[in-house]
Amino acid sequence: MVFSSLLFLFRFLPAILLCYYIVPRTLRNLVLFLFSLVFYAWGEPVYILLMAASILISYTGGILVDRMKSAGRKRAARNALIISLAASLSLLLFFKYADFAVGTVNSLSGLGIPLLNLALPIGISFYTFQTMSYTIDVYRGEAGVQKNLISYGTYVAMFPQLIAGPIVQYKTIDQQLRGRKETPEEFAQGIHRFLIGLGKKVLLANNAGELWDTISAMTVSDVPVLTAWLGLLAYTLQIYFDFSAYSDMAIGLGQMFGFRFHENFNYPYISKSITEFWRRWHISLGTWFREYVYIPLGGNRVKTVRHILNLMIVWFLTGFWHGASWNFVAWGLYYGVLLVIEKYVTGKYVEKLPGILRHLYCMVLVMLGWNLFMFGDLSKSLDYFAALIGGFGAGILNSETIYLLLNNAILLVLLLFGSTRLPKKLGDAFCTRFADRNVVMIAARGLLYTIIFLLSVAWLVDASYNPFLYFRF
Amino acid sequence: MNKVQSCNIITLFCVLIFGFAVATLLSPDVEYSETENRTLAQMPEVSLNALTDGSFESDYEDYLTDQFVLRDAWIALKTDTERLMGRTSSNDIFFADDDYLIEAHTDTFTSDQAATNIQILASFVEKYVEIFGTDHMTVMIVPNAVDILRDKLPAFASPYDEGEYLEQIEEVLTDAVGTADLESMPDASEENILETSETSEASEASEALLVMNDSLFSGVWFDARSVLQEHSEEELCYRTDHHWKTLGAFYVYQAWAGARGYTVPTTESYTVETVTEDFEGTIQSKLGIHTVTDSIELYLDSSDPYYTVEKDGSGEISYSLYDYSALDTKSKYDIFFGGNNALTQITTRAGTGRKILVVKDSYAHCFVPFLLSEFDEIDVLDIRYYNQEISGLIEEEGYTDLLFLYNASGFAEDTSLAKLLY
Repeated sequence: MVFSSLLFLFRFLPAILLCYYIVPRTLRNLVLFLFSLVFYAWGEPVYILLMAASILISYTGGILVDRMKSAGRKRAARNALIISLAASLSLLLFFKYADFAVGTVNSLSGLGIPLLNLALPIGISFYTFQTMSYTIDVYRGEAGVQKNLISYGTYVAMFPQLIAGPIVQYKTIDQQLRGRKETPEEFAQGIHRFLIGLGKKVLLANNAGELWDTISAMTVSDVPVLTAWLGLLAYTLQIYFDFSAYSDMAIGLGQMFGFRFHENFNYPYISKSITEFWRRWHISLGTWFREYVYIPLGGNRVKTVRHILNLMIVWFLTGFWHGASWNFVAWGLYYGVLLVIEKYVTGKYVEKLPGILRHLYCMVLVMLGWNLFMFGDLSKSLDYFAALIGGFGAGILNSETIYLLLNNAILLVLLLFGSTRLPKKLGDAFCTRFADRNVVMIAARGLLYTIIFLLSVAWLVDASYNPFLYFRF
Repeated sequence: MNKVQSCNIITLFCVLIFGFAVATLLSPDVEYSETENRTLAQMPEVSLNALTDGSFESDYEDYLTDQFVLRDAWIALKTDTERLMGRTSSNDIFFADDDYLIEAHTDTFTSDQAATNIQILASFVEKYVEIFGTDHMTVMIVPNAVDILRDKLPAFASPYDEGEYLEQIEEVLTDAVGTADLESMPDASEENILETSETSEASEASEALLVMNDSLFSGVWFDARSVLQEHSEEELCYRTDHHWKTLGAFYVYQAWAGARGYTVPTTESYTVETVTEDFEGTIQSKLGIHTVTDSIELYLDSSDPYYTVEKDGSGEISYSLYDYSALDTKSKYDIFFGGNNALTQITTRAGTGRKILVVKDSYAHCFVPFLLSEFDEIDVLDIRYYNQEISGLIEEEGYTDLLFLYNASGFAEDTSLAKLLY
């Protein structure tokens, strides 16, 4: 199930809110857990067993590690951790990467090993990383062991962050799982965050996606330079609004149930360097790799060559995590190389450039990065790159370029405006000014939320609207 | 946000999500949507199987969206917002000049189906041109509004050029006719046609027209596009529907009749009856907003010819090609023929000795009435619903003429054309 659906908004959400707030506090985790299972099982019921297995492996792993540690058996604790991690990872590897491995072996060896054609279990990359962070933190003594299976299951399966993050580290919500207090202020803040996210996804990301779909459907060798850049810009904006909207909705929903998740995006497109970009983009994933891969490898407190190797390992894995395909590996390594260059070569020069140039430098590189990312196929990325630099001789622009620009002008302005901090600053200024004027605040917020909500529903209803016309009889 | 503000916002949010949730639960399920012209999804049955294979879940989502309260109003809200945002198209439909809503047909003509259909049509022509000869077989594919009214499209809009697709068809058909062994075919014109008096009676003016119209033919291909382009300033297309107006059909018939040497009608040959001015067609349905309404005209032969109509060999005879009851429904274009059916057989007293088979889609519905004075029998075949062998039908009925009439996007998208070769 996804948040941006009529099913979620008008069936699932009312039902869970009702149940959650009716039952006594002690049963609230159970309600969250059960509803989360339904949320996950909706549409793909079989993989619920896989998630259950993942929960049980890390739950047991956590208890074993804790018990060995308390008994002073460090080696045994370490072994328990390794077995638990290996088991979790092997599920991820099998279900996400088996066919990729088979395909690679086939193309290298000429063998015809049949593919498994498994559907990728939704959210497996996210929840596997969550469960791993838990057992590691228990081993490191950074998180207390969770002996209540319901509470632990709630942590892993919690529907707001289950499917697309943020990757919540157990230690950050341990206390909230054991006892949290839901307040009207938090709940209302959650509504704000959720509706902002809903609007970003349905009204902005999807429309940017429509523009990108139009352009990506064209024969690439006929696409003029400006159209190609417009398409890349549309994709760049789509992926940010889509992904950050999901995090907004997750954080907002968490707040409605008394949870506080860490931020996952911090206006990445205002960055002035690649290093800064990755501090602002998908923060929970970056944090995860830093804490559980980069620092254990020695981080930057090693010799230069080793440091570069560490970075490349981390970025290889980051790319590979995004999908079982070489283009994601290339995308990860692209950032590894850029970061190494920025760190050791160009960084000090770039810093001296005027802000606008640094911003341009960063965004062009980020957009070229998305070119590697967006097709799931490296050869298509190369073709599209050729279109971007006019390699096919299709000209600079044509009337369709102008048409697309004119038709999407307001949308693009909204998207660009929305990727800066300006909307938030304006909102904050308004709130500071009128904070004590209840009527003004309620009217303004009420109006904003109602508009976003109604328009989002209109787009959602329309998405399914497919008149059966009589010429199709 | 302080407590008072927060509680108000929470109340608002709950009213919104619970309100629409309950309203959707309480509003009675609708079986058929007249605006969308389709049956709506109903509550799926719950079973263990359906639950585990995921079909219940997806069926339930279809049901929920189909039965969502105020469905049409939501669609209209979306379209209106898009127009406010400066969009000149929505759902692949252009908001064109003079209130025309024009479908862009993006991707229609570049699909595999579009290419396959040309090949199927070529095989069909190759197969039957030997029987009918190029003088008695016509392929007409009528361009859509997006082509005829190109001048009315929003600035810089550059949809696919339908002319390109039609040229492809013309080329392939010319090859197909060239391959066919025309030498050995019987001279249908002499064998079957008893009276050819019309041509000799034709006025000088129409003879001039005939010469001009002759160039509209290339083998069996008839260039309806050029005819319509000549008149593109006139009311050839509906503003809210994907069909052509009867006037468009009239011009094409006039040119075709001229090229074939039949009596060339003028507008005076008909009494034009405007049967409705409240027609909102299929394109309006796709957008959900109300812009303007269309009128539907019938061109009734002033000589009021007698004819009988039998549908699908039912034995039930009627005496009109028009179904006025369709005017009381949303699908008012169904006044022509009463909508789609497989085989409609019309018998006239034209006394020309000609018997035509029209293989068609719904664009032909307003065209066929013009044939009444030229053919003794007109069989109108919609192969989308016809499940017998077309070759058998042609053999049995002994037609003298064959007309293939489709609209361009309908032809390119049709998935049942393979039946032509059965």
